[in-house]
Amino acid sequence: MMKLDAKIPDGPLAGKWDRCRFESRLVSPANKRKFQVLVVGTGLAGASAAATLAELGYQVKAFCIQDSPRRAHSIAAQGGINAAKNYQNDGDSVFRLFYDTIKGGDFRAREANVYRLAQVSNNIIDQCVAQGVPFAREYGGTLANRSFGGAQVSRTFYARGQTGQQLLLGAYSAMMRQVAAGRVTLYPRREMMDLVLIDGKAKGIVCRNLVSGHIERYSGHAVVLATGGYGNVYFLSTNAMASNVTAAWRAYKRGAGFANPAFVQIHPTCIPVHGDYQSKLTLMSESLRNDGRVWVPGKTGDTRKPQDIPEAERDYYLERKYPSFGNLVPRDVASRNAKEVCDQGRGVGDTGLAVYLDFRDAIQRDGIEVILKKYGNLFQMYERITAQDPGSQPMMIYPAVHYAMGGLWVDYNLMGTIPGLFVLGEANFSDHGANRLGASALMQGLADGYFILPYTIGHYLAEAGAAALSTDDAAFAGVEEEAGRRIAALLKNRGTGKKGLETVDALHRRLGLLLWDHCGMARNREGLEKALALIPELRQEFWDRVAVPGSGQELNQSLERAGRVADFMEFAEIMVQDALAREESCGCHLRDESQTAEHEALRDDANFSHVAVWEYAGEGRPAVLHREPLAFENVTPSQRSYK
Amino acid sequence: MSWFTRTASSSLGKKYIMALTGLLLGGFLVVHAAGNTTIFFGRSVFLFYASHLHALGIAVAVAEVLLLALFLTHAITGLLLFVENRRARTSRYAVCSSAGGRTWGSATMPYTGMIILAFLFLHLVNFRFIDHGVTIADIVAAVLARPLYTVLYGAGLGALTLHVSHGFWSLFQSAGISHPKYDRFIRISAWLVCGLIITVFAAILLLLLVNSNQLS
Amino acid sequence: MAAKTITLNLKIWRQAGAGASGRFEAYRLERLDTDMSFPEMLDVLNERLTLEGREPVAFDHDCREGICGMCGAVVDGIAHGPAKETTLCQLHLRHFQDGQTLTIEPFRAKAFPVVKDLVVDRSALDRVIQAGGFISVNTGSAPDANGIPVPQHKAEQAMDAAACIGCGACIASCPNAAAMLFVGAKISQLALLPQGELEREQRALAMVQAMDREGFGNCTNQRECEAVCPKGISIRNIARLNREFLRAAFIGEPLK
Repeated sequence: MMKLDAKIPDGPLAGKWDRCRFESRLVSPANKRKFQVLVVGTGLAGASAAATLAELGYQVKAFCIQDSPRRAHSIAAQGGINAAKNYQNDGDSVFRLFYDTIKGGDFRAREANVYRLAQVSNNIIDQCVAQGVPFAREYGGTLANRSFGGAQVSRTFYARGQTGQQLLLGAYSAMMRQVAAGRVTLYPRREMMDLVLIDGKAKGIVCRNLVSGHIERYSGHAVVLATGGYGNVYFLSTNAMASNVTAAWRAYKRGAGFANPAFVQIHPTCIPVHGDYQSKLTLMSESLRNDGRVWVPGKTGDTRKPQDIPEAERDYYLERKYPSFGNLVPRDVASRNAKEVCDQGRGVGDTGLAVYLDFRDAIQRDGIEVILKKYGNLFQMYERITAQDPGSQPMMIYPAVHYAMGGLWVDYNLMGTIPGLFVLGEANFSDHGANRLGASALMQGLADGYFILPYTIGHYLAEAGAAALSTDDAAFAGVEEEAGRRIAALLKNRGTGKKGLETVDALHRRLGLLLWDHCGMARNREGLEKALALIPELRQEFWDRVAVPGSGQELNQSLERAGRVADFMEFAEIMVQDALAREESCGCHLRDESQTAEHEALRDDANFSHVAVWEYAGEGRPAVLHREPLAFENVTPSQRSYK
Repeated sequence: MSWFTRTASSSLGKKYIMALTGLLLGGFLVVHAAGNTTIFFGRSVFLFYASHLHALGIAVAVAEVLLLALFLTHAITGLLLFVENRRARTSRYAVCSSAGGRTWGSATMPYTGMIILAFLFLHLVNFRFIDHGVTIADIVAAVLARPLYTVLYGAGLGALTLHVSHGFWSLFQSAGISHPKYDRFIRISAWLVCGLIITVFAAILLLLLVNSNQLS
Repeated sequence: MAAKTITLNLKIWRQAGAGASGRFEAYRLERLDTDMSFPEMLDVLNERLTLEGREPVAFDHDCREGICGMCGAVVDGIAHGPAKETTLCQLHLRHFQDGQTLTIEPFRAKAFPVVKDLVVDRSALDRVIQAGGFISVNTGSAPDANGIPVPQHKAEQAMDAAACIGCGACIASCPNAAAMLFVGAKISQLALLPQGELEREQRALAMVQAMDREGFGNCTNQRECEAVCPKGISIRNIARLNREFLRAAFIGEPLK
């Protein structure tokens, strides 16, 4: 039976992290090299953790799914990274960043974690600048900031539209320095197949070498998962093609609690879907909403070109419904409203699944030069993909799955319910509650990797001791055999000439559509129950009919995808269960049954002010729900209102 | 290995060697062209220039040795680069097109270099390793009055043009001299120097072909 | 986004593994939407091959938004295809004519051995970075971020260089398979910032040494790298590398 102890230090909020660090046991410098840590995933969280642990003297093995750690999907983050530096002297503080983040998360995150995140945010900026991250600068040479995602202070640091890339390259270079120093060993093109537990502790992993197909065993004194989010369960998302839930899901099936899997952020400004062949969605920075006005035709079925629709017949629905925030309402509100107008038949474009984001008025007001200076690269990106110029006709946008707030449950020390299993970045659930604010994902990934894990893992390692490691344990053999069986099962239709086979992508697409329809931006009991009935059927179909050519002993990209989709097919079920169990609307999560008279999200603090944690109960048995209550001692949960 | 040999044998070191020897050879070309302009003024001026040059005695010999060293260094390093660069791509592309970077000059550097080398042998055989019983003016006039030699020398000159058209700009790039402030200046002066040298040599060829009495 | 469709004939390099010999195979794809991206076209082909019980074409790709640097192939002799400053994943079929034949090859260089079909091993680039593509600062020891001002134009130039996505197209397109643009970009980024100043000489010496060791060719200033770079990185960064290395060779401490 799972026990959830968040291990939040006592004492006042501002002193908790200090206290935690003081009370943590230390590993002496001479002993650090005796510990082997396995870091799976090399995005912001994984690379920063691997680098920092190695700098401290630990031996690190780092695993990444791509050919190089520099390609992790952190690289695609455009907007920026928040920090409470208050360089702009505009009233920011650690407490304000903490408050904005916890409020943005709709009061579904732990106070202590979020406060610590705000505290270390400043160190991140210092660290990244020292690494040579070319942040934007003012003429005088000081760092530039912008206001992002509707924040009332300018606290976002940025490197053009490539902040994620630059921060990742910073962490990557720090890690490469440690590779050269011999303290990090790099294992690219490896996919974690499973977690190995010895005496109930995380002691190793089993990987597939994606080039040779060999199943490999690695043992360590602790395992760190920094394997990103599960947004690709929807098939179409802004995530990279290889982003998956497998590592987290395998950990879950070995006993790690999975927290709030229903919390998925749907980003409002993405380029709309344009064909069945589409493989992914592209995000446009939400900074576009600073100057673009969102609208749809006032009446349904209006097929006129946007420029032919007179002002009086346009519905600037965000400005109409939310006069004080207008186009800058939070992501979830913007996304839901876009879906609503499209559901009413007022969507635009070939598919009717898009709304306009119009720069006409901004261009008239400021001139095209000013607008291009701000958004030129985004306009280019849009034009490259759609062949349309946003300077002369409105952009079309539609919401897309973007970020998973849910993830493996971790305590204050970032350790999961399995001792020795640490989870960082998007892969954990810790800091964003039910909704993530813009420019906070990069902050969290780097906070976890640079400044939190390196302290907390020491405490665990000091207590657990540096016992000799071996991959000969029976546990490794068992896990490896299971992984082999799973691969064999995925390949079983190969060469059988069986009729009616479907490709991995086709089956994945069906799963995605099912979730988008029933567990997307707005959910209700009926739809969720329907999804719960359909998912096992689809899963069965997957195992019966999936077509995977080639063998397991070579580079086989179909097989890789099949393994990931197989796990998504299982994961989807707890995601829907979680959505069903949470009978409130909060953050990104809107339950139709829980709305105000004005059709706005209605949170239910009396019954749902908790983290929902799911425990694996065995094959074929329903997952068990545990609740970690959330206590708010320093802030008072308020209903969000953007009217 | 000392820092110097390590630097010289690195990929960048070889580039510096090419740039430096290229620059000096370019300098020689300029002097050579300048000296040859005396041909425009007839036999006596040309012979006056030649005799004064040879009057330098030991200095000429030293200069020749240095020049030979320069040529050898440039040619050997160039060949080495050529071989190494071929080896850096073991399997070739089935389709090979330019995205717009390379020029005729840059793409043919090793080949124009080899043509120039061949031309040099001819040139030396014609004018250096010969019986010095007759005056240089007569030798030059005799050789360049023959259309075959005009063609051969023209080909050598063509190769030289292509070679220098890339080489002159390239040596600045290799030496790290590149800035928006003076990029245009380098490019324009590269073309000017190249154009000037070529014009002088080409004019001599044509003049001697057309007017067989120029040096008599 | 009016749906227009075209037919393409593809000649794709197929190679079973690193040691195997490769060959071209021809495929014909009909009714391709011109809004489709290049990897989506390969997806369509692979779906078909899979259902026919044949081996799909292996190709690297990940973010599909032009930033991760994972994708890349040579299309009709040009790395990342004919569109300027575009990665293969952002190349849309509207750039091609109906009925056109495209020859698709892997990035070819001795330092990039083929893994399978269009997939190559670019780990040489990681090893070059390991040699010195970093600033040696341990986590926690950084001074305040505003402690060292950086002139805006320097920061912008550093960002221009830092935009490199490490795709390797510069090497694939270079007639000599040289890696100078890749190395020059990293050297430049760090040399332009005061934070990178202290190690500039060691960095230049070590990265060039690593680059040479990996078997890349020598730069002959042909500018093909700049022409195909999806991020438009200028060869001015190569000039800066030349300068940095020269400086380091003469006044820097020799490598240990």
